[in-house]
Amino acid sequence: MKQHANWWYGGVIGLLLVTIAIALMAGTVWLGPRQLSVALSDHGSQAFVTVFSLRVPRILSSLICGGSLAVAGALFQAVFRNPIADPSILGISSAADFFKLGGAMLLPWLPGRAWLMALLGGLVALVILTSGRALADPFRLIIVGVALDATFVGLQQLLSSGATQVSHSTFNGLTWADATTLLILGVVGLFVALVLAPWANYLKLTDAALKNVGVPVKVIRWSLLLLGMYLATSVTAVVGAIPFVGIVVPNVARRLVGHDYQTLIPFSMLAGAWLMLAADTLGRTVIVPSEISAATMMAVIGGPFVIILLQRGRGLHGMSTR
Amino acid sequence: MECQHVSYQYPRQAAGITDVTGTFPSGQVTTIIGPNGAGKSTLLKLLARQLPIAAGQITLAGQSLNNYTTKALAQRVAMVTQRHQLYDDMTVSEVVQTGRLPYHSLLQTVPAAEVAPYLATTGLTPLADEHVQNLSGGQQQRVWLAAALAQEPAVLLLDEPTTYLDVHYQQDLMQQLRRLAATGITVIQVLHDINQAFRFSDWLWLVKQGRLVTQGRPADLRQANLLAETFQTPIEIVDVPRLGPYIVQVPEASEN
Repeated sequence: MKQHANWWYGGVIGLLLVTIAIALMAGTVWLGPRQLSVALSDHGSQAFVTVFSLRVPRILSSLICGGSLAVAGALFQAVFRNPIADPSILGISSAADFFKLGGAMLLPWLPGRAWLMALLGGLVALVILTSGRALADPFRLIIVGVALDATFVGLQQLLSSGATQVSHSTFNGLTWADATTLLILGVVGLFVALVLAPWANYLKLTDAALKNVGVPVKVIRWSLLLLGMYLATSVTAVVGAIPFVGIVVPNVARRLVGHDYQTLIPFSMLAGAWLMLAADTLGRTVIVPSEISAATMMAVIGGPFVIILLQRGRGLHGMSTR
Repeated sequence: MECQHVSYQYPRQAAGITDVTGTFPSGQVTTIIGPNGAGKSTLLKLLARQLPIAAGQITLAGQSLNNYTTKALAQRVAMVTQRHQLYDDMTVSEVVQTGRLPYHSLLQTVPAAEVAPYLATTGLTPLADEHVQNLSGGQQQRVWLAAALAQEPAVLLLDEPTTYLDVHYQQDLMQQLRRLAATGITVIQVLHDINQAFRFSDWLWLVKQGRLVTQGRPADLRQANLLAETFQTPIEIVDVPRLGPYIVQVPEASEN
């Protein structure tokens, strides 16, 4: 598996580079490789403005978002011991979206408002999710998560009918400021995820077995949960809720590079970045000059994937709460 | 290891442990036997500090178990439970590496080379890179034993370790435990098979209804009346050629 993993790493890095090149060239105006190099050297040209002000921040944002969401999904799956656990399906992202909107209406003066409110929303959803008996029963967890998601989506719709700022869940119109915010939040979170990857491996053992070897189960569980929540809500704060990346990427990654989280997390990061960029690039080029949002693209890809995963998968496990 | 007036009560349940005092001789195999619901597994969990003692104390090397930090305890006491569950794929080597966690900081990765001696002791070296779920029940049990040994414990606790093993592997495991005891490890196990307990143990604990009925050498406790009283069933001891005394349950008078 380890030798295969190296090939897959090479493959995804190659794909990523090719897709970045295509994403730089593609858009309402197609720029060939030569035009692209001319555009990048001539800072006064319209092409330079298009590439540097519109395409580059958008590409950077989608890379960071994809990586963050994929890693957040992998962390949630490790903690909940459930292959379809993911912040988007468990209502974390929609709660973050709702709180972000609420913050925009009630606390417009708050500095760093979108991120702080999204984080608070994610935390509220996480507390609701982990406070009942849902933890011990993987089916109950998913049902509670879906209900939580529906509730926050409903609340958001209720609120957005009178709002001036509505969540969009697209990379369209993202500025350098947005990209920089995402870059800082994402790089910090992803770096911590790489450091804590062995903890995700420990959670493959039962709580009792972990206690026997002196591992503080609660500390590692909550650290990984909060990290996953932070990564997912940071994306929601800037872009909005994007579904399924966290389910599709880690599950495909397990098949390609194996189940060791120290390999799986960095691979998911790269594969998630590629998937998000590919989905966004496709979404903004297939029906030029209009475009399909990244959230819609992912719903179309991710929905059927989850159905196949559940129909053919090995089943859900759940965590021991004792 | 010693128990002094140890009691434990499960919340809202009748079963528990009441005023148990006894010793587990160092470097020997002690087996706890008794009928279902006697509190055997509860006792083992108390020895592993998986349950909090309500009264009394358990001492290890003269110190109360409660005085040990989690890590220090994990370096001294290891437990192999009846059935281990893995929530995701792990290789044999990865599982055994978890046994080394008490000797590393949480952010350190356990080097794979560190588990080589434990894989060798349990005969798992050729299977190091195999996925645990692809192994037979007997092989899996050895994996968990190897992980427990990787903790370098002074005390090894085993809860019904032979449950999912065939006769061959049961014998194999019992002999391995005797070899481990010979290296100085105190082995404490719970067994259902009384004959196995008498045959492979140096010391026995007979428990019933949460109390210690008696403890002693197998030769001293091989008494039909004592066992019949403990297990609440007629018992006879017969002599089997090449095996020696064998404990059998005989039908009650009304059954015939």
